[in-house]
Amino acid sequence: MENNDIPEEKSSSAGDAKTEVGLEEATVPEETPPPPPSQVDDNHEDPDKSDLNKIYEEIDRIVTNDNAAPAESVVDEFLDVIEEKIAKLEKEDHDRHAFLESVTRVSKLYMSIVKDPKPEEIGTASIINRIGSVQQRAMAYLEEEFRSLLEDSKTTVDDTSDNIINDQNSISDGGDDNNYNNNNSDETTIFPGYPRDVVLRMNKIAKEMIFGGYESECCEVYMIARRNALEEILQRLGFEKISVDDIQKTHWESLEREIAPAWIKTFRQCATVHFADERILAEAVFSDHPSIAASLFSNLARGVVIQLLDFAQGIAMSKRSAEKLFKTLDMYETLCDMVPKMDGLFPADECSAELKTETSLALSRLGEAAICIFCDLENSIKADNGRTPVPGGAVHPLTRYTMNYLKYACEYKDTLEQVFKEHSRTDGDDPYENDGVSENPNDLQSPFSVQLMRVMDLLDCNLEGKSKLYKDVALSSIFMMNNGRYILQKIKTSMEINCLMGDTWCRRRSSELRQFHKNYQRETWSKLLGCLGHEGLNVVNGKVAKPVLKERFKSFNAMFEEIHRTQSSWVVSDEQMQSELRVSITAVVIPAYRAFLGRYSQYLDAGRQTEKYIKFQPEDLETYIDELFEGNPLSMVRRKQ
Amino acid sequence: MRATENQGSFLNRISIRRNQVVSMEGNHEQELDDLEIFQKHVADRFSNLLSSSSSSPEESAATAATSSDSLLSIAWLRKLLDTFLCCEAEFKALLIIGREPSQVSKPPLDRLVPELLDRVVKALDVCNAVTHGVDAVRHCQKLAEIAVSALGQRPIGDGQVRRAKKALNSLIAAMAIEDRDGSAGSKGTERAWSFGRRGSSAAGASGSNKDQATAQFRSMWWGMAKGWSAAKQVQAMSANLVAPRGNESSGLAHPVYIMSTVVVFVMWALVAAIPCQERTGLATHFQVPRQLGWAQPIIGLQDKIAEEWKKKEKKGTAGLLEEMQRLERLGQSLVEFADSFRFPAEAEKLEEVAAQVAELAETCRRMEEGLVPLQQQIREVFHKVVRTRTEVLEVLDQVGKVSSTPTM
Repeated sequence: MENNDIPEEKSSSAGDAKTEVGLEEATVPEETPPPPPSQVDDNHEDPDKSDLNKIYEEIDRIVTNDNAAPAESVVDEFLDVIEEKIAKLEKEDHDRHAFLESVTRVSKLYMSIVKDPKPEEIGTASIINRIGSVQQRAMAYLEEEFRSLLEDSKTTVDDTSDNIINDQNSISDGGDDNNYNNNNSDETTIFPGYPRDVVLRMNKIAKEMIFGGYESECCEVYMIARRNALEEILQRLGFEKISVDDIQKTHWESLEREIAPAWIKTFRQCATVHFADERILAEAVFSDHPSIAASLFSNLARGVVIQLLDFAQGIAMSKRSAEKLFKTLDMYETLCDMVPKMDGLFPADECSAELKTETSLALSRLGEAAICIFCDLENSIKADNGRTPVPGGAVHPLTRYTMNYLKYACEYKDTLEQVFKEHSRTDGDDPYENDGVSENPNDLQSPFSVQLMRVMDLLDCNLEGKSKLYKDVALSSIFMMNNGRYILQKIKTSMEINCLMGDTWCRRRSSELRQFHKNYQRETWSKLLGCLGHEGLNVVNGKVAKPVLKERFKSFNAMFEEIHRTQSSWVVSDEQMQSELRVSITAVVIPAYRAFLGRYSQYLDAGRQTEKYIKFQPEDLETYIDELFEGNPLSMVRRKQ
Repeated sequence: MRATENQGSFLNRISIRRNQVVSMEGNHEQELDDLEIFQKHVADRFSNLLSSSSSSPEESAATAATSSDSLLSIAWLRKLLDTFLCCEAEFKALLIIGREPSQVSKPPLDRLVPELLDRVVKALDVCNAVTHGVDAVRHCQKLAEIAVSALGQRPIGDGQVRRAKKALNSLIAAMAIEDRDGSAGSKGTERAWSFGRRGSSAAGASGSNKDQATAQFRSMWWGMAKGWSAAKQVQAMSANLVAPRGNESSGLAHPVYIMSTVVVFVMWALVAAIPCQERTGLATHFQVPRQLGWAQPIIGLQDKIAEEWKKKEKKGTAGLLEEMQRLERLGQSLVEFADSFRFPAEAEKLEEVAAQVAELAETCRRMEEGLVPLQQQIREVFHKVVRTRTEVLEVLDQVGKVSSTPTM
């Protein structure tokens, strides 16, 4: 029980070994044999060593035997010795180890006499007074030493958290004596900032103070010193104190870039390293009093945790905007990750229950904020209703923004799934919910994927509206193809969204794209192909109506030039889709043109007429078709020159 | 408990209101009724607080009388927070439940509600600062407990007296430093004292006792950012707090004003009572128009507390928390006793001291019982207020959504 956690440097003296009995009962059992005079006690310096031993023996006899009448002279002599020691100690560092044992004797002496005072005996009162006085002086000295040890060592704390982690690991693997007794024990830091011998010393002082009834002083000193130390740790980790009010006023950029990452780092470090260290330290210093150690640790850690959670609350309260989603989720993830780590650290008491509640409240706030921000995407899509079409039918910025946002957001897929599952407010009484977007009643879908669907549907809806802004039906098809293709590509390249949207959805989208392609083809190229039809050209007797033929060539040329002119300024940025479009156009136009030429070119006079009416060779058409959808208006005339 | 009664009846009212949601149109009378009831409840609750605080903390601290809920005592503060929570819940119901969201976004509410929400955010910081303050108070309690236990021993000897004196000196020094500059976080955090076991003599060590206490106490101030000032925060909360006039005073503008006043008053009282980072200038409190009926009890309390604060500033005594004042008074008296102590003590003197120690013990007991629940209640206020703010924002969002939905 007593010194399992802290191996003694030297064999523990009997005085130490019995402290617990003394603490609980404030008595010393009679059968306890008097502790042997300690060997370490009286060191070489002491001139009258044997006298001192005799005094100690006598005192030990008194404190272990109820009936022993205190021999005043011995007690006085003993107290003189102790006072002298304190005086010496206060001047210089001197024989501190032996001093502790003497203090034990003083405390025991006080207890044994106060327990059964014999006021009728003249002089007893003044002896009691003197013992109490000496004890107080000794305790005051110990308190200062305790404070000093706690404070002084603090300054030697390693500056890099990495070292602390290493130290931590070295403790947790071995766990006991082996680590303490390793070869370079004096330099080894068992606890960040405290060399091994200092911890042992603090342990003894704490034990002595508590035994002597000075528990409150001891605990307050410890609390304050460690509070300061933790405060310094927080500072070193870069955690900046900031009021909730200031969080609302601070620019998001600096919160995002510095303050929130520092918070995350601090929280992780505290939960994984510093709290564990703190607990180990408390347990080591108060090894004989686990309940004191537990309550000191809880109080210390509680202060830090609440502070950190308040920051999370402040962030969750800040004005919502899309870019805050990711940091909010980072913080949420940090909290989630750290909860199990902290659960193991805290003793199951009121404090840990409070921290659980506080943590889950902070999680809820962050989760709800994340949901709100994500759902805000709906609003920003709805609000995007500009009347100017994007030139060339290119991908709309809204599509880009939404898809990139979703792609990024879906990197947090698991977290978002969890957030939506746990923090969605399932209130069906929102009368503003129904905005005509098709609801997917599929129960198997997670709330998050339902929300994602909503966003996609809204985006589709919005794009459809935008496509109507184009006067040219073919261009609006190109616009829909471009955007549809962009969306599909984004989804296909992000495993997470792909997973959420499902194959069926993707297939449906692909077939929609094909439909737009067909629409486009029909709109643009069917008319042109109309020029290459045979109807009306063949007059009876196999003769060809030349004026009609000339007209046909003329209008074909004009129409193609016009298509080339307009559609080379149209934009299809997806290379594959661009080439698919060109291939499909070529496949329709070239064979028809070739056939038309093959059949009818002979009817035009070679030379001038042919040159005038047959402006394009099939190869030329192919070249021109390849110039479509480049997004730069080209004039064929200029090109020809 | 009165508070729970109120809450009960208020919950009934919510359920009634829910049923009426459908027929909100043309329910103007009902609404007027609700506003009046809210005003009345606010007035009732605060006059309840006023009547329970007939004696000033200084007076009650000066007597050994144990009326446990006198003004600015822990018990009183807990009542104050109860009152706040009741008002807050009722206000929230009034503002949100069964109401067309667009009502909340119409002028002047489109300005008043966000202003209230801003005050609420500031109140959160005050809650945090006060929570840390309670930690400091608890530290004082521990010191007083040391004195109680030392002076409770028999026979009282030099050792016990010195022990008690040491603790009480720390206590008094801690209170004095708090009072001189609450800005412990901002300056003088340097450790002016250094315990030199190796260097200083016993006399030196005891001489630096005060500085040590100072440094110790300062360390209790963690939590708030550098330069943060409780007084400034409260002032900022009350900066644009103006009673609605003319047309504005009809409808919801008035309850929003009432709630704002309640928030500011409660935070102000907390800061006055509990040690807080930087309280200078707290005395210049906000004005509530005297003609408003519901505000009378709040004004009454405000006057009383302001008077206490003035005394405090004049005399340089510690915070207004009744229990702290008691600790200070008893502490000083017991230190005097300790200074003149000679062993063996005279029986008469001992009796006198025993009475004081008993009172100190009783005060510590009340602190022991009250401080943790008080701290929890402050957290509760924090969380409730956050919740309400979110819900109000959601209502405002809905309005935004509806108006921004394109007609496609």
